[in-house]
Amino acid sequence: MILLGAAAFAGEVTLWHAWRGDERAALDALVSQWNAAHPADPVQAVFVPHESLATKAEAAIPHGNGPDLLVFGHDRVAAWAERGIILAVDPGAGFLPVSVDALRVGTHTYGWPLACKSLALFRNRALVPEAPPTTAAMVAAAEAAAGPDRYGLAWEVASAYQSAPWLHGMGGGVLREGAVALDRPENVAGLELISRLLPLAPPDPSGALVTQLFNEGRAAMVLNGPWFLGEVNPEIDYAVSPLPAVSESGQPAAPYVTVETLLLAREGAEARAFGAWLAGPEAAAMRQSQGRQVVAALDVPAPDPVLAAFRAQLETAVAMPTSEAFALHWEPLARSLRRLVRGAATPAQAAAEAQTDYAIVSRPPPPESNPAPWLVALGVAVVAGLGLAVHRARQVNWRPWAYVVPWLFPAFAAMVLLVLCPFVVGAGVAFFETDGREFSFVGIAHFLDILLARDFPLSSPLSFWSTLLVTVLWTVANVAAHVSLGVALALLLREPWVRMRGVFRALLILPWAVPSYITALTWKGMFHRQFGAINAILTAAGAEPVSWFGSFATAFAANLATNTWLGFPFMMVVTLGALASIPRDLEEAAEVDGASWIERFRHVTLPLLRPALLPAVILGSVWTFNQFNVIYLVSGGEPDGSTDILVSQAYRWAFTRGHRYGYAAAYAVLILGVLLLYGRLANRLAGRKVL
Amino acid sequence: MATLAFDAVEKRYGAVRVLHRVDLGVADGEFIVLVGPSGCGKSTLLRCIAGLEDISTGELRIDGRRVNEAAPKDRDVAMVFQSYALYPHMTVRENMGFALKLRGAPDIDRQVDEAASMLGLGHLLGRYPRELSGGQRQRVAMGRAIVRRPKVFLFDEPLSNLDAALRTQVRVELKKLHAQLRTTTVYVTHDQTEALTLADRIVVLNHGVVQQVGTPDELYHEPENRFVAGFIGSPAMNFLEKLADHVVGVRPEAVQLGAGPHAATVEVVERLGFESHVHLRLGDEPLVARVEGPVPSGEVRVAFARSYRFDRATGARV
Repeated sequence: MILLGAAAFAGEVTLWHAWRGDERAALDALVSQWNAAHPADPVQAVFVPHESLATKAEAAIPHGNGPDLLVFGHDRVAAWAERGIILAVDPGAGFLPVSVDALRVGTHTYGWPLACKSLALFRNRALVPEAPPTTAAMVAAAEAAAGPDRYGLAWEVASAYQSAPWLHGMGGGVLREGAVALDRPENVAGLELISRLLPLAPPDPSGALVTQLFNEGRAAMVLNGPWFLGEVNPEIDYAVSPLPAVSESGQPAAPYVTVETLLLAREGAEARAFGAWLAGPEAAAMRQSQGRQVVAALDVPAPDPVLAAFRAQLETAVAMPTSEAFALHWEPLARSLRRLVRGAATPAQAAAEAQTDYAIVSRPPPPESNPAPWLVALGVAVVAGLGLAVHRARQVNWRPWAYVVPWLFPAFAAMVLLVLCPFVVGAGVAFFETDGREFSFVGIAHFLDILLARDFPLSSPLSFWSTLLVTVLWTVANVAAHVSLGVALALLLREPWVRMRGVFRALLILPWAVPSYITALTWKGMFHRQFGAINAILTAAGAEPVSWFGSFATAFAANLATNTWLGFPFMMVVTLGALASIPRDLEEAAEVDGASWIERFRHVTLPLLRPALLPAVILGSVWTFNQFNVIYLVSGGEPDGSTDILVSQAYRWAFTRGHRYGYAAAYAVLILGVLLLYGRLANRLAGRKVL
Repeated sequence: MATLAFDAVEKRYGAVRVLHRVDLGVADGEFIVLVGPSGCGKSTLLRCIAGLEDISTGELRIDGRRVNEAAPKDRDVAMVFQSYALYPHMTVRENMGFALKLRGAPDIDRQVDEAASMLGLGHLLGRYPRELSGGQRQRVAMGRAIVRRPKVFLFDEPLSNLDAALRTQVRVELKKLHAQLRTTTVYVTHDQTEALTLADRIVVLNHGVVQQVGTPDELYHEPENRFVAGFIGSPAMNFLEKLADHVVGVRPEAVQLGAGPHAATVEVVERLGFESHVHLRLGDEPLVARVEGPVPSGEVRVAFARSYRFDRATGARV
C-alpha cells in the first residue's frame, strides 16, 4: 500500500489492473508505446491481484491514495459511481452498444469499455462440423454426436450464470422493471427448455468437469467463455459460435456480458487522454491481436474466427445488471436449478421456489432502532464493571506486580489488539444492519429474527433451530466416529503382532497433515454421482450408484465420512499417548481377574483413557461444530441447504445472500453462545469424576 | 485347592529359548518358591501359569486338566504383581471386588469385608490406591487375590518394593496366611532369604534351566551343583579352586579358626553383633568365615568342619 500510495504522488498517471498473461503483456506494450510518445506525463501500470483489487480501490481512492485509472468489471460501476469512487466519462461513439449500455448509471456513463466477456458455444468439429443456428439443430447435432461415453452438450447447469441464456431465449430474465421476477411465465418456459436439454448433458457437472469432458473429446458441445481458450486441449479441433436461437421462440439464447472497463478515479487531462487512447481503435487492435481480447471498440480489423464468434455473440448478449437486487438472485436461482437437475421440482415449482427464496434473502432490513436506551444500559454496565474492577483492585497489593506488569504488557497488548478488539467489533456488528459501508443500529432485531425464525417455517433449512439440530447431530455423529475409530486404531497399533507399526502410525496420521480443503475436495470428487470412485466401487459390486448429494441422509453421510477421515488421527494420537502411560500390568491384572477383552477395555483401559480423552473430545466437538470446510466444499449444504451447519449458514448470510453482515454477525454470536454453554457443561461433566 | 504339573514345558521367543524342559509337580496346598538371578526365567514361568504367556511346547496341567490353551480367566488363578497393579480409578473395595463382580458373584461386599479384615484393611476400603502407603497397597494387592479363593496363588516378587523391616513383617504374615488358607502357591523371588523362609519346596532356576528342586534344608545342605550351593545361603559358600584337583566348597559357618591344616590371613572383619563375618585370604583365594564370639587377627590356622566337592568343568557335585 505504501508503495502504491507513493507511486500515485509521483506526478505520473497510475493505472491499476488485474490482467495476466497475454492481456498483461499487451497492456505493458501499449503503456510503453504511450510513454515513448508522451515522455512528459508517463503512465505507470501496476498489477494488483484480482481478489484484492476491489477492496484496495475502495479503501484507497476515497483517501486520495488510489490510482488515476483502474480496470475492473462493469458490475461495480453503479455502486462506485454512487459513492463517488469513479468519475463520469463520455466514451463517445465507436463502441459496441451493449458495452456502453452496461456503463450507464442514470444519465451518465462511467468509464471506457475495453473488452467484453460472455459465454458462447464451443464445439468439437470432429463431432459437430457445422455451428447449429437453432436449438433444434443443436439438439439434433448433440443426439447425433452422443455415444456410450460421450455427451452431446455440457454446461454448468446449476450455475445461474451459465443457465441464464436459456431463460433469456424464452423471453425471460431475472429482472422485470428493475425488480427480481424469477417466477414469471417466461422463466418457467426457460426452465422447461433446460429440462428438455438435460438428457443431453452429464448429470450435475461442475465447471472443471465440463472442461475435462470437452478436452477428452467426451462432450461434443459446451457453453464456455473466452477464459476457456487458455485451457482447451490443443489436440481438439474446435470452433466457437454464438449460442443458437431458441426454436420455440425464435429469440437468441443470450448470455450475460461483463465489460472490462477502464474507470477514471481521479480527474486529470492526461488520464482522460490515455483512457480514450487505450479504449480507442488503435490500442484495441493491439489488445485484440496480442492480448486475445474481445474488444469493445468498433473500428478494429476483423479478428480471427474464434474472437469473431465471441464478438458476434455480443450482438445478442445481455449486459449483466449491476443492481443489488440482481446480485441477490444468484443463490436462490442456483438452488432451484439444482432442484430441477435432481428432479426434485418441476420447472414451475423451481421458478416459484426461486422467487420465494429470493424473497427471504432480500427481505427488508429490520427498522432502525433508537440506540439511546441501549447506550444507557451499556453505560450502566460499563460503569458497574469498572466500579467492580476498581473495588477489587483496591484490595490487591500491587507492589509486587509493579515489576511484572511491564513484562506482561506486550503480550497483553497483542491479545487486546488481535483477539479482543476483533471480537468486540464482530459482536458489535450484530446489533447493526450493514452491508459493510453504512451502519444503522437495529438493537437486538437480528437476534429476534434468527431465534424466532420469523421469515420461514421452523423446519426450513434456513431456520436457526433446524440448522442447530443438524449441527448438533453433525457434531455428535462426528465425535463419536472420531473417538471410536481413533481409539480402536490406537489399541490395534499397540498389539504386539502388528508389524511395521511405525509405518502404519505415520500413514494413519497423514490425513491430518493434508490441508483439510484438499481432502474435502478429493472426497467431493469421490462422491460424484457419475465419475466418483465410491459409485464406481458400488457399481463394480453390483449395487446401484447413489446420488450422494440428492438426499439429506446420503449427503450427511458423505460429509461425515470426509470429516471422520480428517478427524480420527487426532483422537488416535491422543489415545496412543494416553495408552503409553497406562501400565501393561493393569490390563494383565484384569485379565487374570477374569475380564474378557471387552471388559478389560470397559472397566480398565477406557476409564484410564478418560482424563486424556475428555479434553480431546471437547476440543474435537468445538472444531467439528465449526467445521466450515467440509460442509462448504463437500455437500455445499445440498440438498437445498439441509446439510448446512450454523457456521456455513452464517457465511452464506454474509457473502452469498447479499451482504447481510449484521445478521451473519448475530449468527456468529449465537454460535459462540452455544459453544460457551457446551464448554461449561462439558467441564462440569469432566470435573465430576477426577482420576 | 489344586495341584500343578509341568510336563517338559518350554518357552521360546523366536530362536531364543528362555525355559528349557521344565518338569515339576506341585502338590495341593504346597508353597513353591521359584528363585534365581535376574533373567533366569522365573517370572516367565509364573506368567505361563497365569496364562499371560503361551507355552511353546510341553504341557501344563492344573488339577490334572491341560490348560495350555486356556485363557487366564478360565484358569482360576490369582496373581499379585510386583507393581501391585491396583486399578487407580477404583477404591480399595472396588479393586478387591472386581474379579467377583466380573463373574457375577453374590455377596461381594461380605466377601470383600472378610478378606479385608483378614489383612487389616477394613478402614481403607473407601480409599483410592493413590491415597495408600506402599505397604498398604501391597496388602490390597494380596487382598484382591485372596478374596477370589482361587485354585492357585501366584506371587511375582511381591515384597521387592517394600523396605527391609516391612518385608520381614509381611513375610511372616504371608506364612501365617498360607497356613490358614492352605492354597497352592507359586512365589517368585530373587531373594534367597524369602525363598528359604517361605517355601515348602524351592525351585532354583538359572538361564531357564531348573538346577534343583527341594526343601530349603535339602538345598542348603545337599546342593546338587555349584550354582545352587553358591546361590542358597548367606554369606555365600566359599569356593576354593586351588586346594585340590576339584573345587572345594565350604559354607562360612563350617570354617573353623584357631587350629587346622590351612594357614590364612585375616583381612576384614564385619561385626554383626551376634556373629561376625571374617574375610580371610587363603593363599591367593578369598575365604569367608562366620564366627561367634571373639575374632582373631593376623595369621590364623583354619580347618573345615564340612566341605563339598564340585567338578571343575561341569560344576556338578562329586
